[in-house]
Amino acid sequence: MTALLELENVRAGYGSTSVLHGVSLSVLEGQVVSLLGANGAGKTTTLRAITGGVRWTGDIRFAGRSLRRTGTEDVVRRGIAHVPEGRGICTELTVDENLKLGSHLRRDKAEVAKDYDRVFEYFPVLKERRRLSASTLSGGEQQMLALARALLMRPRLMLLDEPSLGLAPIVVRSIFEIIRSINQTSDVAVLLVEQNARIALDLSSSAYVLEVGRVAVHGASAELQDNESVRRSYLGY
Amino acid sequence: MQEFLQLVVSGISTGAIFASLALALVLIYNAMGLVNFAQGEMAMFATFIAYTLVNAGMSFWIAFPVTMVLAFGGGILIQRVVIRPVERAPVLTLVIITLGLATLVNGVAGFLWGYVPRSFASPFSPDSVDLGGVFISYRDLGVIAVSGLVLLAIYLLLQHTTVGLTLRAAAHHPEASRLLGVHVSWMLALGWGLASAVGAVSGMMVAPILLLEPNMMQTIIIYAFAAAVLGGIESPLGAVVGGLLVGVTVNLAGAYIPNAGDLQLAFGLGIIILVLILKPNGLFGRAATRRV
Repeated sequence: MTALLELENVRAGYGSTSVLHGVSLSVLEGQVVSLLGANGAGKTTTLRAITGGVRWTGDIRFAGRSLRRTGTEDVVRRGIAHVPEGRGICTELTVDENLKLGSHLRRDKAEVAKDYDRVFEYFPVLKERRRLSASTLSGGEQQMLALARALLMRPRLMLLDEPSLGLAPIVVRSIFEIIRSINQTSDVAVLLVEQNARIALDLSSSAYVLEVGRVAVHGASAELQDNESVRRSYLGY
Repeated sequence: MQEFLQLVVSGISTGAIFASLALALVLIYNAMGLVNFAQGEMAMFATFIAYTLVNAGMSFWIAFPVTMVLAFGGGILIQRVVIRPVERAPVLTLVIITLGLATLVNGVAGFLWGYVPRSFASPFSPDSVDLGGVFISYRDLGVIAVSGLVLLAIYLLLQHTTVGLTLRAAAHHPEASRLLGVHVSWMLALGWGLASAVGAVSGMMVAPILLLEPNMMQTIIIYAFAAAVLGGIESPLGAVVGGLLVGVTVNLAGAYIPNAGDLQLAFGLGIIILVLILKPNGLFGRAATRRV
């Protein structure tokens, strides 16, 4: 298996405050990888570095090509869908318009139509609310819209920033089931940032734990789950 | 009653001119949260270009779209050269820059064409049509038709095309749009281009009514501000409705209030102040949300 995404000694920060002090990680083709850690450990910053939302040094390669000096728009066009913190829903637009923004760069019309069918199969509520303003959706529905829109971009890699944030446990479970299904049926790799370590480790095959901008622990998700001391000191359950 | 209807129709005609310029202001306001004080001067400059083309023997109906295309390109050029380098500057800096741009464009027009007012021939017949005793001039109807078509085209572009969708997304949600592969900076330039082209229409429509000279748009821009504010400053539809309301109101006030001619401009400013005090979000604006 070849690495789809590779971060090598990435340092990044905001202004003079540095947040990442040399993060290295990799995501294989079709793999789900969890990125865990306490608040402020640098999880969101890592995702933002990948899509060019923050300046970084070191190297980030996607599908063998460096993303150095590539603007956010062009990183995304190479096949990375980033669902950011707060979901990035365009609340001034309708549900349908948000979905269209996901597929607007694609020219394969027939495949796009298939993806719409799939999206509405996963999230029937979005079909019912197509014509409504996205601002009328609940938190869970907005998360569904964000995932649906990312799916319509037909990416090779999805970056998901805390998809469980602010959602009821039952909604979280169904959203994670869908993420699993998306990963399995369309072979999309996922880099998943989560506070909820238990549910993230259940889904992923490999995991990294960040501590103050460095990778503190790295291993197979199952091993991390079984390792009592890792669980106590880093994952808090 | 007949006189009243005639005044309403010619008010709608003036209002359509205000609406075009107000829409231009709204397009740029949406793109960067800022009123472009140079909008009127840009429209005036474009009108001088149309005037030059017509004088060189070109038919008005060819000069009209040619001018719109040139204005579109000019708007993009101004955004790239003047605005983009200071995109992230504080709003006050940008306001000062658009004010400076207004002065600059005005000065260049004066330098090129002088300050002597010139007559700009109307492309419409000076006759009137008699609709059951109400005489409506073809000039009014022509202005309404041309402005209406342009506004309709902009509406269709914004609401029913992918480019329009990405333009709206980039204006309201730049960060989220970037993550969806939208080239936000180019969308802002496109917004300037469109605004400049729509503004040019207002200039070409008003020039035959007033006389063409570098300060021609300075009263019109006040009414356009009033229209945009009345419509809620963020709403393209609001700008059009606001423009028509301001046009009709100003026309009626001018006819029925004795000696109101001198007060017409004060009237426009009065509308701005009243709306801002009584209904700051205008007729179509949403509750105030700040872009951070």
